Amino acid sequence: MPKFGMVIDLNRCIGCRSCAVVCKIHNSLPPGTWWQRVETVGSTEHMVPSGENPDVSETFLPVPCMHCENAPCVKACPVGATWQREDGIVLVDYERCIGCRYCMTACPYGVRQFNWQDSRASFKEGFKAAGFEEDWFKDKEYRYGYPFDHKTGDGRIVYTPKRPKGVVEKCTFCVQYVDKGLLPACVRGCSGNARTFGDLNDPDSDISKILRGRNVFKLLADLGTEPKVFYIAPTRKEGKGGINYGKEL
Amino acid sequence: MGVSRRNFLKICAVGTAAAAGSRYFRPAQSAVREEGTVEYVRSTCSPNCTGACGFNAMVYKGRIVTLTQAADYPEQEYNPRGCLRGQSTLNLMYGPDRLKQPLIRVGKRGEGKFKAVSWDEALDHVADRLADIMKKYGPESVASMIQVPGTGYVHKGALMRLSSLYEWSVLHAYTMNGDLPAFWPMTFGVQTEELETLEWTNSRYTAIFGSNALVTRVPDAKFISIGRENGAKFIMVDPNYTPTAAKADEWIQINPATDAAMALGIVNVILEEKLYDEEFIKTNTDMPLLVRLDTQKKLMASEVKELSGRAEEYRKKIPEYRDLFVVYNNAARALFIPDPESLNRNFDPALEGEFEVNLVSGQRVKVKTVFQLLKESVSKEYAPEKAARVIAPDASKIKAYTETIRRLAREMATTKPLHIIYGASNYQWFHGDLKGRALALIVVLTGNLGKSGAGISTYAGQYRVRWPLGAWWNFKEKKNKWVTYLLWLNDEYRNGPEFKKYNKETPYPKNGVKAFVYGWGNPFDQHNMSNRMREKAANGELELIVACDFQMSTSCLWSDVVLPGVAWYEKYDLTATVSHPYVQLQQPAVEPLFQCMPEIWYYKEIAHRIARRLGNEEILKQVEEFYPDPKHFRKEEEARKNGTWTLKLAREIAQDASLEAAELMLRTGGEQVEGITVEMLKKGPVRLKIPTPGNRQLMFWEQVELKQPYPPVSYPAPLPKTARFVKSGRIEFYKDEDVFIDLGETLPMHKAPFVDSEHRTAGIKDKYTFALVTRNALYRVHSTHSNNMTMLELQNFKPKVWINPKALEEKRLKEGDLVEVFNNRGKVYGYAVADPGLHHDVLIFEEGWWSRYTRNTSYNTLTYPWIKASHYIYFVPGVWEPTTAWNETAVDVKKAEGVENA
Repeated sequence: MPKFGMVIDLNRCIGCRSCAVVCKIHNSLPPGTWWQRVETVGSTEHMVPSGENPDVSETFLPVPCMHCENAPCVKACPVGATWQREDGIVLVDYERCIGCRYCMTACPYGVRQFNWQDSRASFKEGFKAAGFEEDWFKDKEYRYGYPFDHKTGDGRIVYTPKRPKGVVEKCTFCVQYVDKGLLPACVRGCSGNARTFGDLNDPDSDISKILRGRNVFKLLADLGTEPKVFYIAPTRKEGKGGINYGKEL
Repeated sequence: MGVSRRNFLKICAVGTAAAAGSRYFRPAQSAVREEGTVEYVRSTCSPNCTGACGFNAMVYKGRIVTLTQAADYPEQEYNPRGCLRGQSTLNLMYGPDRLKQPLIRVGKRGEGKFKAVSWDEALDHVADRLADIMKKYGPESVASMIQVPGTGYVHKGALMRLSSLYEWSVLHAYTMNGDLPAFWPMTFGVQTEELETLEWTNSRYTAIFGSNALVTRVPDAKFISIGRENGAKFIMVDPNYTPTAAKADEWIQINPATDAAMALGIVNVILEEKLYDEEFIKTNTDMPLLVRLDTQKKLMASEVKELSGRAEEYRKKIPEYRDLFVVYNNAARALFIPDPESLNRNFDPALEGEFEVNLVSGQRVKVKTVFQLLKESVSKEYAPEKAARVIAPDASKIKAYTETIRRLAREMATTKPLHIIYGASNYQWFHGDLKGRALALIVVLTGNLGKSGAGISTYAGQYRVRWPLGAWWNFKEKKNKWVTYLLWLNDEYRNGPEFKKYNKETPYPKNGVKAFVYGWGNPFDQHNMSNRMREKAANGELELIVACDFQMSTSCLWSDVVLPGVAWYEKYDLTATVSHPYVQLQQPAVEPLFQCMPEIWYYKEIAHRIARRLGNEEILKQVEEFYPDPKHFRKEEEARKNGTWTLKLAREIAQDASLEAAELMLRTGGEQVEGITVEMLKKGPVRLKIPTPGNRQLMFWEQVELKQPYPPVSYPAPLPKTARFVKSGRIEFYKDEDVFIDLGETLPMHKAPFVDSEHRTAGIKDKYTFALVTRNALYRVHSTHSNNMTMLELQNFKPKVWINPKALEEKRLKEGDLVEVFNNRGKVYGYAVADPGLHHDVLIFEEGWWSRYTRNTSYNTLTYPWIKASHYIYFVPGVWEPTTAWNETAVDVKKAEGVENA
């Protein structure tokens, strides 16, 4: 039985937000819903450095669901709608979720979102904010996104392009793709080659090798949630003039 | 959904039963089978970003529902490419601004009032008006414009083909966009050169001067990180701390537009400490050539008494675009004429020295080598202390900068291979060419050319015509005519004394530009310098404006006729780029939406309809050859005659004709595309056959390794047209055409921004103390994706103005205020963002916002169509031509007043 995890290399992350966008498109998320966020550490505006000139710095941080081994959201759910599958992926069963939102309070990473409204309403609002005049969104059928419902082996709906109103949703490690042997959209879509996804139980997998060999950290590690999304810490070369120059022959 | 628990369990039972016996059963597999068929089609994402990334479109029920990077480049390191914009292109294809049918304007230009008409009506209207204008003002008064041909050699080529057929004037978008870095033709005799981005990992030292590659080269930016992982050093020189600077080992903040001073400070140290590659310089450059001190012109062999006889004989053997110059041969202790047609060197020219020469005229003149002149000028003006004074943002840092210049010079000279990336927001200034010439010195003096990982690259624009395309682009070999955008916009300069003094060959339509037929661009936002384009539209100087687009952009609002085209998932096209040498195909994943047509079709229609109106028998007969194979044209005309014509049929024919055009260009394209076919391209990207080791895109490999003379050819310009820029057949740092002497720019030097432009107008210097840099945004490709919902969300739907926090305070503004950036020409609104990484004197507004998002103000009303005299002494479109300087814009900022919902 595999145990899925992800590593994000912050040295390679260029903050382009392509992971956030490809996740949105593939998972058919309407305006206002983001399962993955990429922010700049220490700054409210993306790609603005923190610090004071000239000692400024800029690090980007993509945050998907951590798929915690010791997930607080799973513990908080009163109806067992959110659970961790054997392969480690933490999912929401849209039919069981009663929308109480206890899981959102429990999650320290803020990666869960509640659908206060029908996605059509979200699109309408989004287009209005973007200054489009009419409710042009007359075509009820077209949505971007993987077009098929996806159920787990025991029949629970864990992905649907029709965003259900009144439930909580979050990143699923693209369960609809992983179950077919494909990588999650954000991993395939990262043009910085910053992500690795794979089996933590397999000592020869790429991800296992990285966890053994690199300087890796977890977000909010002291809370004991045991996230399965790891980050390779950004490094810098020490000091200026560190290159030994000599005349090349 | 709407499945009850009971039904649910029933379905599960059925599903499990079916799955249990299946060979493909895996744990946790979906129990619901996919309904409907899904198809995947690979195309190439093609806005103007130079990415040219392969994408697989997932098609379900006739619509594209997801886009996934194809990641099928043979070099694994390139994969997956792609970016947030390409991934969300569905928002454009299926969005509110998607054009549906042909439109004819009924209101005022810019108002946006149109009536939907049939294709016949639209095309007849266009043909009527164009034929009239051609008869009245001459065909060259029709100006056409395509943006960046690399994104579509077939359909953009169709408008070029049409333009050549009727001898219209073409606006070259490369110089219109300001993407041509003028130092290239001046120094190397080429349009531009660049390493393919995979080569970045082979550089041991990368220096980026003013290119925010992490934002503008998203699919390639990783190579910088990978280079660092391999132990290479990466420095970034920029007035502002950008995401790219954040990845660098060192960020060196300099005053805006002072890169030439820094580069020459580095050159000073390289020369002082003899860190240059003497043999390389003697072989590849004009450094040993002798220059007359009295005239400042290079000494010609024909002038020299002891050489004139030999020169006359020699002259008969060399092409007319070459000339014969003189060096002092140390080995023979005599003057010598180097062969301009070969870099093979069996002589040892003096690099330094002053000599006296007897001329045929009887005069005796003093001469110095170019290298000697360079040394003298650089040691006098650009000692590290002096350069530091110019570049340091703070007087207190001058000493530190002096040391930094020294140290970086030593590092850059001795860590090979060195690669300099010179960015557009850096060279798009009035004196951008001087900066480029200075930076090129660093690379050339140290022999960093013609090798893996070495050189100087500028990646702006997917303009590159990578192999001869004339078989498609030129109708029956008719040549294109040209009109320079800056001259069109800047009437007063064109009629002024400086232009008349130096202009030798730059053409201009006799009666000016009366019709504007453009496609795949948004000039009424993006090129509306000083609001002049809109003025020409509003006052009727432009009598006809015809747009081609797949969305209702701002420019469509200003057009008279809008012809709806398609994006890159609805047609066949051929793409190439500067970032990598892969040839790729665009392929239709879905039918063109609504009544949109592949552009090749309507340009063919216009060609035909104009022919009928002009009464030219010859053209009328020839026009059936507009599609590559006349059978396609005839088939459609037959259908029209016997009433079986449909839009669908026309589309099918057009798609076939597109593939034929692609085949034609591959078949007739020469060595680099030898053996490449459309069938191959349907399977995936194919690398051009570049004659270098591993077919890698390096620069000047044939010159450095095979000793062929400079320049290599820059398609589509014939070699004689560009080779005359470097008559010596070598890299030329000394320019001696009259204008360079007049401007004092015979050698690379630093000239401050604004002194020769904005500050020539009284009072501007003190009023507008900020430099406005309109950088490229992460969320757009220029103005494509300005209306992309997902991109807008990420920006909070707000155009912004980035300001240094101290400057913000001084202007009594707060972060989040709606501010007005203004000067004596125009204004633009944006929300203030305090950015501690910004230079105090720089304001940033990201270009590409459609003006409806900026409350109808526009950043381009602030810019000005400056023209530098040295840019029009020759005319080779897109190669030596006045090129736009966006950042030469002085502004001020204040709180926006009287604005609703601020």
